[in-house]
Amino acid sequence: MSLTSSLPDAGLGVDGLTQDLARASLAMARRFHSGGTMWCVSPAWSFHAHHVAVEFVHPVIVGKRALASLTVPPGADVVATLRASVRPGDMVVALAPADDAQVTDAMRRGPAWGVETLWIGHGPRPAAGAADHVVWLDTEADLEASEKFVRIYHMLWELTHVCFEHPGLLKVEPECTDDVCITCSDEGRLAEVVTVDGDEAVVRTSEGIERIDVMLIATAGPGDLVLVHAGSAITNLSAD
Amino acid sequence: MSPEATDFLYPFIEGDETDSEALLSDLARSAHAKWEQSTALRTETLERTEDQLRTVATAMAERFTAGGRLYAFGNGGSATDAEAVAQLYTRPPYGSPLPARSLAEDQAVLTALSNDIGFDVVFSRQLIAHGRPVDIAMGLSTSGNSENLLMAFGEAAKQGMLTVGLSGYDGGRMATDSRLEHCIVVRSDSVHRVQESQASVIHVLWAYVQEALSAAGFAAPGGASAPSSAATRV
Repeated sequence: MSLTSSLPDAGLGVDGLTQDLARASLAMARRFHSGGTMWCVSPAWSFHAHHVAVEFVHPVIVGKRALASLTVPPGADVVATLRASVRPGDMVVALAPADDAQVTDAMRRGPAWGVETLWIGHGPRPAAGAADHVVWLDTEADLEASEKFVRIYHMLWELTHVCFEHPGLLKVEPECTDDVCITCSDEGRLAEVVTVDGDEAVVRTSEGIERIDVMLIATAGPGDLVLVHAGSAITNLSAD
Repeated sequence: MSPEATDFLYPFIEGDETDSEALLSDLARSAHAKWEQSTALRTETLERTEDQLRTVATAMAERFTAGGRLYAFGNGGSATDAEAVAQLYTRPPYGSPLPARSLAEDQAVLTALSNDIGFDVVFSRQLIAHGRPVDIAMGLSTSGNSENLLMAFGEAAKQGMLTVGLSGYDGGRMATDSRLEHCIVVRSDSVHRVQESQASVIHVLWAYVQEALSAAGFAAPGGASAPSSAATRV
């Protein structure tokens, strides 16, 4: 195969990718519609993060609305920067391989920060549930993936703006219709520990800052992710 | 429920639409079509520009061998492509690391020049400061009409630098400006599709530069040899 031959596009692979991209685009449109900011991060390829942000802030098509999108600066501590910067309702878009430890850590904190996460990458896929949305290329080749990333985020922008033409679908779908709802009942919400004071801790959840009981878990320290049930931490997910 | 061909005649009354599955299926179909357009444009571009890319790569390799440095520049998304160029040449996945720099990266310089003089000179003034006859100026644009790129090419040509432009549409002013020696055009009128194929042009041109250097026996410190299949994986 020469350099100029076409990139191999496995038919089924593209179908799966475009379906994932469609769902991610609607989710991002809903967050933008509610005032969210999109945070873009790519530790190895910072130019991709910058490119995503400029697409949304300064659209190439005149008349499309400017949307809030910012980057995590190259070389920055990803988790520390996002922890300090994101507000509930924001989005985090990462362009990174599945073995990027900083991105993995940031993505798993998404529910505690109240952000919706989109992970774009290539090669081996991240573990199930590693992010709210995963748009993945099977290729192991870095340069091929880099080219296709450009397509993916251009289409993310294009599809997001198509969603704005469907205002009825931008309202967040009601999650709780029954008296008992597994999604938002207090079964076990993710929280990030801010400070620990004896048997109590101040934690950050998607709802904001809360004070909880940490008697049931052996240890807890700032930055740990814990599951909270009925006002108590029941598991320290960072302790293993 | 399959979408009918006449659905577009009956837009939803604002706010009444509730079935997101129909939209999601439209979005996925649209993305799939764009994906295939992008693939087709990539193929057409690389086949049409093959000889040109070989010629440019040979000229660039000569500059690098003589100690030249590559300066890449562009605006907006093309500025991020200039960053990508600088990263690819200096920190390559294989082959010889080569001296390259994006002129869109230093915010102190960009804002100082813009504030004190104007945005048209942000790249040309940097070339006045850094450029040497042995160097390479690579400007990236989708329209081919950016004034600051044309000014930079003018300055580069005056100094005797090798001038290389990437453009879209019909090439714009870059295609006819005599100060620009090589203008590689992606023939599409979609900014997004142009940038997608330009990303491929950047990678293939870089691979050809590495091949040309390797054939000439060039070896930079810290270089790793290409895996035998590396070129075909671009």
